[in-house]
Amino acid sequence: MKTIIEPFRIKSVEPIRMTTRERREAVLREAGFNLFLIRADDVIIDLLTDSGTGAMSSEQWAGILRGDESYAGASSFYRFQERLQEVTGFEHILPTHQGRASERILFELVGGAGKVIPNNAHFDTTRANIEHSGAVAVDLPIAEAADPAFLHPFKGNLDVAALERLIAEVGRDRIPLVMVTVTNNSGGGQPVSLGNLRAVRAICDRHRLPLFLDACRFAENAYFIKLREPGQSGRSVREIVREMFGLADGATISAKKDGLVNIGGLLLLRDMQLLYRASNLLILTEGFITYGGLAGRDLEAMAQGFEEVLHEDYLAYRLRSVEYVGEGLMKAGIPIVQPPGGHAIYIDAAALCPHIPREQFPGQAVVCGLYRIGGVRAVEIGSAMFGNRSPPGLELVRLAIPRRVYTQSHMDYVVEVCAALAAKRAELRGLRMVQEPPVLRHFTARFEEL
Amino acid sequence: MRRRSWAEPYKIKVVEHLRMTTRAERERAIAEAGYNTFLLKSEDVYIDLLTDSGTSAMSDRQWAGMMMGDEAYAGSANFYHLESAVREFYGYKHLIPTHQGRGAEHILSKSCIKPGDYVPGNMYFTTTRVHQELAGGQFVDVIIDEAHDPASEHPFKGNVDLEKLSALIERVGSSRIPYLALHATVNMAGGQPISMDNAREVAVLCRKHGIRIFMDATRAVENCYFIREREPGYAGRALAEILRELCSYTDGCTMSGKKDCLVNIGGFLAVNDDELAEAARNMVVIYEGLHTYGGLAGRDMEAMAIGIRESVSYDHMHARIGQVQYLGDQIAHEGVPIVRPIGGHGIFLDALEFLPHLPREQFPAQALAAALYVDSGVRAMERGAVSAGRDPLTGDNRYPRLELVRLTIPRRVYTQAHMDVTAESVIDLHRQRDSIVGMKFTHEPKSLRFFQARFAPIEGDAVMRH
Repeated sequence: MKTIIEPFRIKSVEPIRMTTRERREAVLREAGFNLFLIRADDVIIDLLTDSGTGAMSSEQWAGILRGDESYAGASSFYRFQERLQEVTGFEHILPTHQGRASERILFELVGGAGKVIPNNAHFDTTRANIEHSGAVAVDLPIAEAADPAFLHPFKGNLDVAALERLIAEVGRDRIPLVMVTVTNNSGGGQPVSLGNLRAVRAICDRHRLPLFLDACRFAENAYFIKLREPGQSGRSVREIVREMFGLADGATISAKKDGLVNIGGLLLLRDMQLLYRASNLLILTEGFITYGGLAGRDLEAMAQGFEEVLHEDYLAYRLRSVEYVGEGLMKAGIPIVQPPGGHAIYIDAAALCPHIPREQFPGQAVVCGLYRIGGVRAVEIGSAMFGNRSPPGLELVRLAIPRRVYTQSHMDYVVEVCAALAAKRAELRGLRMVQEPPVLRHFTARFEEL
Repeated sequence: MRRRSWAEPYKIKVVEHLRMTTRAERERAIAEAGYNTFLLKSEDVYIDLLTDSGTSAMSDRQWAGMMMGDEAYAGSANFYHLESAVREFYGYKHLIPTHQGRGAEHILSKSCIKPGDYVPGNMYFTTTRVHQELAGGQFVDVIIDEAHDPASEHPFKGNVDLEKLSALIERVGSSRIPYLALHATVNMAGGQPISMDNAREVAVLCRKHGIRIFMDATRAVENCYFIREREPGYAGRALAEILRELCSYTDGCTMSGKKDCLVNIGGFLAVNDDELAEAARNMVVIYEGLHTYGGLAGRDMEAMAIGIRESVSYDHMHARIGQVQYLGDQIAHEGVPIVRPIGGHGIFLDALEFLPHLPREQFPAQALAAALYVDSGVRAMERGAVSAGRDPLTGDNRYPRLELVRLTIPRRVYTQAHMDVTAESVIDLHRQRDSIVGMKFTHEPKSLRFFQARFAPIEGDAVMRH
């Protein structure tokens, strides 16, 4: 059957406030043309991020009510720990308030001046944390990732030859770990194959380097493996997930994506020495090891969320509903990163607006256009977010789809807004950054239209 | 009928089951936990007085707020509700939410302290001091001497000693003092308040020298209740009004919302200075989350905004502190040594007085907390030499003058009957105090050791000699 219906029905709703074009125009100006700075109330369809914006299930809300808020040794922690041990195969599970805290702790321990940390493509907070520690973040995507229109089933793969070259060039001692982001967010939500992970593991073994996953969207990646990788279609997602984590020595996870929660993160480690140091840092900056800066109820919601995300009917719906948006945009003649990713559709802003040069932030211009026309909030992933280091030099606009929140008619509306924008693309104007914060500038920068 | 003056201004809406345990089960559990109450599983605990942090019961309105969470990554409506509650009740200009109090301490210490700086304060707090030390600063205790004497009945034992503060300024110069850390109330001194008069004088002195004051406002509303009860000129005044005045003497605050604000998770940094706010916002995005959520779910900001409004209710605070007094009065009445006067959030047993036969190297407070758990399943916390850790320069154990066991009362969770059970157990134990056995380390972590340390009895394997 062509239509994939949602494997759930709606239990609780949140009203959406409609806005007028005039209102949006005023809001946009007030926020310095940065959609991070506008009130959520002024947004009709919020595709800023899929992080922490999902709808929880009734089972998760039951967990919220069951939360044991004891400061130490809460029963919610033990339930959470057991579920995550079962899903990942890791014995030691540290909870953190969210993914960037896991990254901060990890890179405070292994980063520092002179260190080099390779990845298929670092995401914004990962890169910021690595650079904040004094280390250098290096992106090593496969060459195919640079061409948005190129069809490759695993465009998130890490370029293993480039990794070998990097190790030869800087020496293994300067590389504390190799990281792989699944799925690859900055490169279009593209998956990494099991074959590629195994190849990276083999290189790591040869050079005695630890392999870490940035595993925010591990389940979406595993389902792509099941769908696309030869020999994997007969395996369960659960098995594939166990193998992915089995190849790694550690992982940082923002549970706000595939953990299906609004807040929470994890740090997984095998090395006992590193675990001990990470625990001390966790206590100092996050919270005691049995709550990690979260309420007990959030641990309950995670325990349930990490189970639900492995249900294959959910994953089929998830990937298909994202693909549906991609198909709509392509039909409207809008250039997107091919094939559609797991959690978002990425519009190729450079191709859409060839009249706006990179230094005038074509992606940001498209983001502002979408908001003006239809109150849709998207995010620029290009030169505004990454400066000159934007991973393979792409100017993208991400439409990130929150999990289990929007319906097909919401998505039809989004496609219409995008089509209306594309029809008037020649009218889009570039921007100039008038206020630039020193770190993670895209969150709070202000722009002016040219 | 005798009027119970602190009767709760609420009724119970949702309950959470407790598991009863036998003494044999508790003996096994505490041995497995290395005689450290932090390492007990909560399901083995009957009455959990480990901390009042994040352990409170939320109101039905707060739970309704939980359902109103706006989980948008940027510009969540809940952020603006929280911002307006903080402005209205605390009066600071800029709000930067953090996942909990230590997130705010981390950012404040990193933004303000340079290596070689001195940070004066009215007694240290465990995590706060570590953040100050990691940023290169050195904590200097400027609390009045009475704070270190558990028997002193001083009404405002949390006060800053202005002479000690002046002496420090004279010795190191105001340029080496980035700010004064003002705790209201002072946790490590037994939940003791500062007076408004003292806050005002400290502000005059600090402003003269260009030194900023940041308040640890975690239990500031409880502090304001004591001001209302004890300080001339404040009787009958609204707590909200007193709070605004107290905050007006400071330049900002760090907040663990898990105490006064009646939530299970959440905190914030609030400051008046535009530049500091800008620096803090740039930092919060790396460590915590975007500045409109700071690592919190939208629903948690909403619950905190509502909790702030509930916290300044006189009826609420009267019942809260009344319950603590009720427990303390029963215990003190039977001659058990406790820190006087009774503080805002807990009863602090004076372990040195309680167990004079144990030398300090045997950690009498740790031994007493373990014995209390075995006796009745009540979980308390050591606040003495184990918590104080080692001196970073000499590596020696720090032996603070106070060696305490803290019975911390969560807000709106336990009933009078629970308090009665606790009092009975403490009193019983006091009668058998000579049989309580000292403790020694079997595992000692380097930083914040009290959380994960493991111990064993000095002799045998029981917390009490039979």
